Amino acid sequence: MSGIDTAIYVRQPSRTAAYLDWLQMLTGAGLILFMWSHMVLVASVNLGPQVMNTIAYFFEATYMAQVGGPIIGATMLLHFILAARKIPYTSGEQGAIWRHAKMLHHTDTWLWLIQAFTAMVILVMGSIHIWTVLTNLPITAAKSAMRVQTGFWGVFYLILLPCVELHVGIGFYRILVKWGLIKRSGRKGLHRFENVLTGVFILIGLITIIRFWTLPV
Amino acid sequence: MEYQTFYTDLLCIGAGLAGERVAVEAAANGFETILLSLVPPRRSHSCAAEGGMQASLGNCAMGEGDNPDIHFADTVKGSDWGCDQEVARIFADTAPIAVREAAFWGIPWNRVVAGKAVYYKSGQEFEAVEPQDRHGLITARAFGGTAKWRTCYTADGTGHTLLYTLDNKVTQLGVTVHDRVEAISLIHDGANCLGCVARDLKTGRLRVYLAKATLIATGGYGRLYSETTNTVINEGGGHIVALDTGLVPFGNPEAVQFHPTGIVPTNILVTEGCRGDGGTLLDVDEKRFMDKYEPAKAELASRDVVSRWMMYHIAQGKGVPSPYGDHLWLDIRHLGQKHITTKLREVYDLCRHFLGVDPIHQLIPVRPAQHYSMGGVRTDKNGAAYGLQGLFSAGESACWDMHGFNRLGGNSLAETIVGGRYIGQKVAQYLAGAEAHFDTALVRQFVARDQERIKRLVSGADGKQNVYEIRAAMQDEMMERVGIFRNGADLQKAVENLQAIYARAKKIGLRSNGLGASPELNLALKMPGMLRLAICVAYGALVRTESRGCHARDDYQARNDRDWLNRTLAYWPEAAADLPVLKYEPATKVMYLPPGDRGYGKVEIIPMDAPKEVRP
Amino acid sequence: MSRQLIFNIFRYNPQDPGSLPRTDTFILEETPSMTLFIALNRIREEQDPSLQFDFACRMAICGSCGMVINGRPGLACKTLTKELPAEITLMPLPVFKLVGDLSVDTGTWFRTTNTKIQSWIHTDQEFDPAVVEERMENDLANAIFELERCIECGCCVAACGTANMREDFVGAFALNRIARFMLDPRDQRSEAEYFEVVGTDQGVFGCMGLLACEDVCPRELPLQDQLGILRRKMGFISLKSLFKPKARAAS
Ligand SMILES: Cc1cc2nc3c(=O)[nH]c(=O)nc-3n(C[C@H](O)[C@H](O)[C@H](O)COP(=O)(O)OP(=O)(O)OC[C@H]3O[C@@H](n4cnc5c(N)ncnc54)[C@H](O)[C@@H]3O)c2cc1C
Ligand code: HEM
Ligand code: HEM
Ligand code: SF4
Ligand code: F3S
Ligand code: FES
Repeated sequence: MSGIDTAIYVRQPSRTAAYLDWLQMLTGAGLILFMWSHMVLVASVNLGPQVMNTIAYFFEATYMAQVGGPIIGATMLLHFILAARKIPYTSGEQGAIWRHAKMLHHTDTWLWLIQAFTAMVILVMGSIHIWTVLTNLPITAAKSAMRVQTGFWGVFYLILLPCVELHVGIGFYRILVKWGLIKRSGRKGLHRFENVLTGVFILIGLITIIRFWTLPV
Repeated sequence: MEYQTFYTDLLCIGAGLAGERVAVEAAANGFETILLSLVPPRRSHSCAAEGGMQASLGNCAMGEGDNPDIHFADTVKGSDWGCDQEVARIFADTAPIAVREAAFWGIPWNRVVAGKAVYYKSGQEFEAVEPQDRHGLITARAFGGTAKWRTCYTADGTGHTLLYTLDNKVTQLGVTVHDRVEAISLIHDGANCLGCVARDLKTGRLRVYLAKATLIATGGYGRLYSETTNTVINEGGGHIVALDTGLVPFGNPEAVQFHPTGIVPTNILVTEGCRGDGGTLLDVDEKRFMDKYEPAKAELASRDVVSRWMMYHIAQGKGVPSPYGDHLWLDIRHLGQKHITTKLREVYDLCRHFLGVDPIHQLIPVRPAQHYSMGGVRTDKNGAAYGLQGLFSAGESACWDMHGFNRLGGNSLAETIVGGRYIGQKVAQYLAGAEAHFDTALVRQFVARDQERIKRLVSGADGKQNVYEIRAAMQDEMMERVGIFRNGADLQKAVENLQAIYARAKKIGLRSNGLGASPELNLALKMPGMLRLAICVAYGALVRTESRGCHARDDYQARNDRDWLNRTLAYWPEAAADLPVLKYEPATKVMYLPPGDRGYGKVEIIPMDAPKEVRP
Repeated sequence: MSRQLIFNIFRYNPQDPGSLPRTDTFILEETPSMTLFIALNRIREEQDPSLQFDFACRMAICGSCGMVINGRPGLACKTLTKELPAEITLMPLPVFKLVGDLSVDTGTWFRTTNTKIQSWIHTDQEFDPAVVEERMENDLANAIFELERCIECGCCVAACGTANMREDFVGAFALNRIARFMLDPRDQRSEAEYFEVVGTDQGVFGCMGLLACEDVCPRELPLQDQLGILRRKMGFISLKSLFKPKARAAS
């Protein structure tokens, strides 16, 4: 029997779940901000290689790249560890969510699956990317162009880019609805905004990749 | 066949408001209690009640000066003097306490807002000033047949909030709940009730519940009729098991209420609150008519009166033709969008989802439908059933009898928690002194009987009659000849036809294999019992040669207090018989309010002291 | 004019050793204002008396008839066939234990969960029958009622990916229920006590914001908003205790 007693156990309830959720959201938000700045940096090449070089130089001269880079890497790792708690890893759970999503025809549920899937891609490719760039400082437009034009790097970015932008766009939307910053009435609008945002960023990224590709080395 | 046995102090068959309220009382007094229900308790019919419950708090401006005496008088008049006045008295006195207790447990009753307020009555807008000193106290709305605004409510989900709050209480107290379990017969030794045989509706297996006290709180029997506002599980399960003992009488079976506003075609009820708040009834010409038939109360006369005038008006050719038969219109458009989407939101949703009608701009098609069963397991004022020790009944399933021949809107939700509270206390007192010993051989005998019934149904040993066809035949017969208007010839015919259908019901054979929960077996087990109830209703109505409350006879239009100021007690002592034995008892032992004019409805009355006529 | 409706219905009777999970097809002529309540009952009465499904109120108020209708959890009694294509696929709600065919055991699930979240008013006061009720603002009463409107149909739970993956997640219904008690001044639970009940990964922090609950709720409860408010509240309670680690829950 559940008993009549309404008093709750005296022990301090565990706050762990709450702290982890905060951290997951904050690391996610931090990464979003980073990706937006990152976009400014990289896309500046479209305004001319010199512009990009200047911005890159500014980051290095202030040691922001040398210190910030690894911090971003660490943040991503932390974010991954936190968010991974939510990713289905037993085959039973994977089966359940997959069957469920196929049955439901529900956009937000699919978006979550996309988020979980892109996360895996980002984990691997993002790490490689960060490693490559950070072990090969300074950043210059010329070096980047060279990289993009060698080997599989072009394809690499063509895969990574949409994954990142989808993950970021969905993550942005999800933070706002999960924490109640956007109300029921604002959800539709936010959805539309998120789609536009993702689209625009992918477009700018594509233009940037093409620019690197065509930049004379 | 193996079966599980459960022992407890109190067994509540039925976990609607009444069953749960009694269970809470028993559990709070330390008695072990088990609740049985066909569905999870929160899905019981009680959750469908929208309008509210009556209690004479007198907080709102239009309830000013209200008190239990006025509530009592309204109830007795409403019953057309058919009620037990002692019970009505207990009820009216306890209702305010029960409402406050419910508030204490968490009901978000709507509250008085001080200052000027705009209300509607009979389609007319008027202003009232809600008093400052009662700001924040429980408010009330108007319901038919009441002198004051007395119906406490939570928007239009009163039954829902009450049921959820009580079920929370049940959860808190740790009462054992067995849902999807159906009682199929009472176990008794001819003098004491010992519990019941039940069928687990998840697995189909039989179970035995043995208890010191057993309560029947199984709600109404609306599904004897084809057109009813009741949920599909209101099939009279509790009445069937009680009647089958041969010892417990079915009180006033013929007292069946019809509600004026069931929507066409689904019979879903739109609340009386619509009319209470100022909604009007219109005919084919979109003209009001109730104000002509009942100048004083118009749409707010009691239900039986409104239902009858509606049928009468339709019979005058003023109905709106439709593929589902003629109907009338309910108009709430003038209440405005805000009122409809807040205070009558349930109605608003219902019209759009089930009819495709927007009541802010469109009229709602309505027609009377069976709504409430005043009759039931006859008990004394303590809720103890006649005929068997240790058997109690409460709520709609009981004939505790505060409703007599017509229940007032808002008085039945009130009955469940007011009566439940009171009867619960009596049950607890009974349990404190009760000893029980259970004769296993006897128990086995009862189980064996039900096992045998099941076996014969599954194998088709008695015949191959289709249970669904039988049910449909019964429901149509009841609607057609035992409905709102009754007369001797039709009732006689109805009794005969129902007897013929009953004969078929004894030859039911399943078409499916009957394994597991089997809905077909479920209904087949009940079907003969439902027919016995139907025959009681029709036969009781046939014999009662007067008109009283909802029982309206074309051939005996007067209320006959000289011969019929009494209560029908229908017994079914002979299992093989196809008619009940009818006995009668005085409507009330104590007469606080002598029979008189109700102030609405028909006026023809044969007084108690009128000289006997010699009838041919 | 009237269509032939094709019903593909999931069938399985766990109590019948001869029964295997399968899909049965029934054909029915559509009639005006036909709901799935009317259709399923006709199928049972005219074609297959063993078909299991649950209805009680048939007016979208008791929550009995939740099922998956063409992929979406919803109330069958409130679904008009004319709003559906001619081919209709019906499945039982996932997450809940199957009783048979379209019927699932929501009762046990909800009772367990309601016990877990202690869904009742917690107070140390005694009811005094002689005293008038405590006053309450009507607006507050309405706000509480707004959240109290949940009918425990289980659609939000069945539609939630998290609940489908993780058995112990309490679902949007429970979080909404707690939000209702937090609004209610009669419930004397402290912040810390509420936190204990829902400030966990089985509670509000388990929710991933999939919002299918919000999209399927037949009562249109403001689940998105309530989940957001609750997450913020619980989030801030946890932060407070971070800065005031000595603050203990008074029980
Ligand atoms: C649409 C509608 C609106 C209404 N509105 C109002 C209103 O506004 N105000 C008002 O005062 N009244 C109203 N009423 C009437 C009121 O709702 C009922 O009279 C009241 O709820 C009955 O409660 P109860 O507890 O007696 O029975 P119910 O709530 O019907 O509960 C019966 C219980 O018995 C169980 N049961 C039945 N048979 C068996 C069995 N064989 N074995 C085990 N369990 C069984 C069921 O599962 C259920 O739990 C309304 C009625 C209808 C139809
Ligand atoms: C290392 C690889 C990454 C993995 C494995 C990962 C995984 C996830 C997962 C599974 C979620 C969903 C969590 C939930 O719904 O509660 C999530 C959310 C999120 N991710 Fe990532 N992610 C990764 C990298 C990134 C990067 C690089 C960014 C930003 C640029 C990012 C931004 C976000 C945001 C904003 C959210 C929403 C946070 C929330 O809902 O609380 N993620 N991530
Ligand atoms: C840690 C710091 C980072 C630095 C310094 C950095 C730097 C760069 C640079 C210089 C380029 C140009 C191409 C090249 O040189 O190869 C680039 C491109 C790109 N980076 Fe990063 N990056 C960082 C982190 C990340 C992260 C975490 C992600 C996502 C997970 C990411 C995703 C991309 C993508 C998708 C491109 C393709 C270019 C485009 O936007 O079109 N980067 N980055
Ligand atoms: S919140 Fe909505 S969907 Fe969920 S159980 Fe309640 S009514 Fe059903
Ligand atoms: S669908 Fe589930 S994950 Fe949260 S927002 Fe609703 S409870
Ligand atoms: S039958 Fe009650 S909600 Fe559908």
